[in-house]
Amino acid sequence: MEVFLIFISAVLVNNFVLSYFLGICPFLGVSGKIESATSMGFAVTFVLTLSSAITWLINNYILIAFKVPFLEYVSFIIVIAALVQFVEMFIRKMSKTLYDTLGIYLPLITTNCAILGLALFGALRKYGFIENIVFGIGAGIGFTLALVIMAGIREELDLADVPQPLKGAAITLILAGLLALAFMGFAGLISA
Amino acid sequence: MTDLSNKGIFGEFTKGFWKENPILVMLLGMCPTLAVTTSAIKGLTMGLAVLFVLTCSSLIVSIVRNIIPKQVRIPTFIVIIATFVTMVDLFLKAFLLDLSKALGPFIPLIVVNCIILGRAEAFASRNRVILSLLDAVGVSLGFTVTLILLGGIREILGMGTFFGHVVFGPRFDQWVIMLLPPGAFITLGFMLGAKNIIDRKFEEKRKS
Amino acid sequence: MNIRLKMVLILTLFACISGGVLSLVYIISSPLIEANMLEEQNRAIFLVVPEAKSYEEKLTEGINYFECTDTEGRVVGIALPAEGIGYQGVIKLMVGLTPDLRQVMGLVVLEQIETPGLGGRISEEEFQNQFKGINTEPAIEWVKNQAPEKDTDIQAVTGATISSRSVVLIINKRIQDLRTVM
Repeated sequence: MEVFLIFISAVLVNNFVLSYFLGICPFLGVSGKIESATSMGFAVTFVLTLSSAITWLINNYILIAFKVPFLEYVSFIIVIAALVQFVEMFIRKMSKTLYDTLGIYLPLITTNCAILGLALFGALRKYGFIENIVFGIGAGIGFTLALVIMAGIREELDLADVPQPLKGAAITLILAGLLALAFMGFAGLISA
Repeated sequence: MTDLSNKGIFGEFTKGFWKENPILVMLLGMCPTLAVTTSAIKGLTMGLAVLFVLTCSSLIVSIVRNIIPKQVRIPTFIVIIATFVTMVDLFLKAFLLDLSKALGPFIPLIVVNCIILGRAEAFASRNRVILSLLDAVGVSLGFTVTLILLGGIREILGMGTFFGHVVFGPRFDQWVIMLLPPGAFITLGFMLGAKNIIDRKFEEKRKS
Repeated sequence: MNIRLKMVLILTLFACISGGVLSLVYIISSPLIEANMLEEQNRAIFLVVPEAKSYEEKLTEGINYFECTDTEGRVVGIALPAEGIGYQGVIKLMVGLTPDLRQVMGLVVLEQIETPGLGGRISEEEFQNQFKGINTEPAIEWVKNQAPEKDTDIQAVTGATISSRSVVLIINKRIQDLRTVM
């Protein structure tokens, strides 16, 4: 039950993009087409799931065990960078088609705040191992959801008559605001 | 190498405020921009933290730029940046505990702020120390000013205060939505729109 | 030099310098940070147990609390640190309780990153003061948009039921935990 709550909360209620503002750069950059948004979403979810497990192990068995909490940020970011590199090589070996769809997004993921954000939030909340992984998967799915919805809206936007000064990034931000407003309605889901 | 005769030293410094403003033009560093600007003071603190990290890491990157093999450029930069971010974090915890708590995990998230890695990669790794420093200070001051502006608008409308001082009387009905995530997105969207309008006005004036 | 070797060397070098510099900064700053934390803890304890003149930290089965005594050494209250997850993130509290744990003497919200203007208002005195004199048995409860009726009720912040509820649940759970070990 607890685990399910964490999942729902990460996907809808506290959506990483729309409520925590994590991963805004790819959210604005890659949400032009539904197809690329989906690929980016999957790539991020994949890395989030792996990194939630690895950063948990590092935090509990190295940083806390050896009492070096001040190395938290440095070690997390190194692990994330290495992980992304590793995933890229792995996918390239495994499947050519997968690499062609995800490949170009992978290098961008290192500097996606969502990945480091997840590691930091997980450490702050003192989740258990399983809970932390579920939190990671939920965050990834929530990110994908927001990205795909946004891409859907922007594809339709081509037909709309947007005032000249608001064209481009400005209208995307305002749309994101409306989307965030809609997602606030999910807050009721976790209230008893 | 950036062409000096074209921009000049002064140009490297001022471009960050308007022409290459990291938030309004380059759309970089959006996560902290939107997340911490519920009040002007938080915007200022975040801006100064970024100023410190960006200046120091630009300095180091620019000094060591010739000894780093290009294959490990990015990881090395990230390590340098993360080191300075940890310093800022410890500093805030030691001297400004309340602000450190209010900014929470968004201080460590400076590590992945695209502005810093972007400047290190695009500018500091290719330019002399002095130029890199000017570029770093200019860009982060532009960032700070924009954060204070965004934080100020949201604080004034959302709480009726500016830097904690009451602007409107007690009868002011607070627009709480401005402090919530939708308020952040929408305010920034309109700020981008306003910048576009001003740019166009200047353009028309120059033509006529 | 072999390029691969150079890559590894340079990265290791930078990582080592970074680790060294950081431990130095940490050694310098940690006394300051600890002093800050201690000062905050003192302030919170004496605020939630107003009659306290001194306190002693106790640790039973993983639960730490502060036994507060007056000038004559009588136990006048318990200050209990508690934390849990609110709407947006972690909420840290200090709860003051009578020695029999039946009544709340005071509450301070130490740390929270709830939405400013809504959930963030749990840090305001108006909300925290409601807890003074509230009964903890069978459990603290919350009501919405109306004045509390029972002596275990507090009124949730308007528009921020989740944050208010989280505070109540965190306190209830912690008191429950403490009861089982005391």
